[in-house]
Amino acid sequence: MRNAALYSRGLLSTLIVALGVVILVRMIPLAHSGGFAILPGVVLGLALIAYGVHKISLIVRIRRTQ
Amino acid sequence: MPDKATPELRRSVTPWGSFSWGYSDVGADIFVGLGLVLAAAAGASNVAFLFAGIVYVCIGLAYTELAATYPVAGGGQYFVLRGLGDIFGFIAGWAVLLDFTIDVTLFAWTCVDYSSQLLPILTESRFPWIHFIVTLSLIVGLCVLNVIGVRESTAFNGFVSALDVLSETGILCFGFLFAFKPDLLVHNMHMYWPSTSDLMLGISLSIISFVGLESISQAAQETQRPASIIPRTSVALILTILIFALAYSNLALGMQPWHPIVDAQGHAIQFFQIFHDNQDNQGKAVALLANQVPYYGAFAAFYVPILGAILLLISSNSGVFGSSRIAYAMSSKNLLPSMFQRVHAKFRTPMISIVCFSAVAVLELIFAALPSLDPGAKAIYAHLFRGEKGLDFLADLYAFGAATSYSFVFIALIALRMFDPLSPRKFKIPLNIPMTVRGERVEFPIVAVIGFLGIFAILIFTLFTHPIGRIAGPTWLLLGIVFYFIYRARKKLPLFRSEKRDWRKQQVEILRSAGELELMDEYIANVKASDERRTRTAPT
Repeated sequence: MRNAALYSRGLLSTLIVALGVVILVRMIPLAHSGGFAILPGVVLGLALIAYGVHKISLIVRIRRTQ
Repeated sequence: MPDKATPELRRSVTPWGSFSWGYSDVGADIFVGLGLVLAAAAGASNVAFLFAGIVYVCIGLAYTELAATYPVAGGGQYFVLRGLGDIFGFIAGWAVLLDFTIDVTLFAWTCVDYSSQLLPILTESRFPWIHFIVTLSLIVGLCVLNVIGVRESTAFNGFVSALDVLSETGILCFGFLFAFKPDLLVHNMHMYWPSTSDLMLGISLSIISFVGLESISQAAQETQRPASIIPRTSVALILTILIFALAYSNLALGMQPWHPIVDAQGHAIQFFQIFHDNQDNQGKAVALLANQVPYYGAFAAFYVPILGAILLLISSNSGVFGSSRIAYAMSSKNLLPSMFQRVHAKFRTPMISIVCFSAVAVLELIFAALPSLDPGAKAIYAHLFRGEKGLDFLADLYAFGAATSYSFVFIALIALRMFDPLSPRKFKIPLNIPMTVRGERVEFPIVAVIGFLGIFAILIFTLFTHPIGRIAGPTWLLLGIVFYFIYRARKKLPLFRSEKRDWRKQQVEILRSAGELELMDEYIANVKASDERRTRTAPT
């Protein structure tokens, strides 16, 4: 039961990272034409990646201590 | 004869409970704030959220450090009282009380707005009394629920918070994968960039999407092992809320709607333009956005209004909970009369505080709803407050209360770092400058200075752009200060100065009752070492 919860949290965290990468990849090509306007989107992409990686590292740590 | 112990708040809030108390309060804010900010800041809504989001991260970190160091009910007002003294503690607490009572009304109000997506009669302009009566019934119902006890509410909060995190993640994933057009986002930001005044209004409104961390520190006195749990739950909460707010605002600006949206003349318009001058839409922005997400929208149209309404109701509940706990804490420090400290013998909840501040929330509801209920009042509001009413009225006061109390909390954090370096800080805000103050090694928090400048700017924006926040907010503070002076004079307590308190003894007691025995030992050792240093260096 506990493992299943960990796996589902891991899956959700991977999805978060993937979403962050998708947003970043789509925003960066507009850097030249968009200028300052791409900043909120880039921050969002980076925040998603950071959050997802943080959660995955916590899950890995829990798995190691089990 | 058996010893009759004084009833205390029980420690029944678990880690998830602590997160969900905060999430149900802050998480629901985006349901209210999104529409208001899109209406005010238009093409710069995401920038407004980004500015407020950065300030919010600083606030979140400050609250996390303070709540983990001083895990007592009272939150912001306790930190300010301890760092700056009684009168400032009262002002900060009184501003937070305004926020929590507004929280009760604002979220009950928008709960009805979200419900109207499925039951349109609730916001039918021909029957304004229906909206008023339903909102009033919700506030009274929550008051009763809170008198009965915290444990029942916490379990319910946890379930709905989990459901909402999943739901919002679903909306945003589908939205960004199938509807988000980055070039449309850039185009809208360039084409619909607001005036400076509207941008300031948008920023001041976007801070209301980040109010509620107070709930975690409010629940500190009822959380198990708070010094360990609070940093964990707070950091998770800060990141979750920041991501949701940035994601919604970017998606709303760069979204290709699933179904074409047209204005009254039949011209195609952008999604975010449906909020301009339309309070009905502003009150249910997330539900409208979810409807426009391809594929997922068909399913979301049915459940998002219900889930939103439930989450908003829980947030309203957090307001009742928070206001009663603050009043309880302020009363225990002689900032409010002792009746607010009385705990119900059977339910062990501060019943008088709950009933009293729910009554204030009802009063605020009446003021907010008056213009739509009575044409005479509408004319008066048009003259005094530029016609602001309903959601605007509540949002103005909410922004004022939040900006005022948070400004004080940042100053208190700096003061406590300087003058109470001995208290063990299990969590410390990063970026500090080490220095020596009165013979003790201290760390000056740079983030607190950045946060203070940010929140103070938002306070200035609020006073500059909100007619109601500018008048009713300071009036609330002034009335509170008069009340405080009368109470203190009658109790023969110092008016401007602080009461003498043995903070060292109190800190030991706080850590002991929180079950943080290792931290208590560390604190006692720190105090002993500091006293020995002083004795050695003192002139003989």
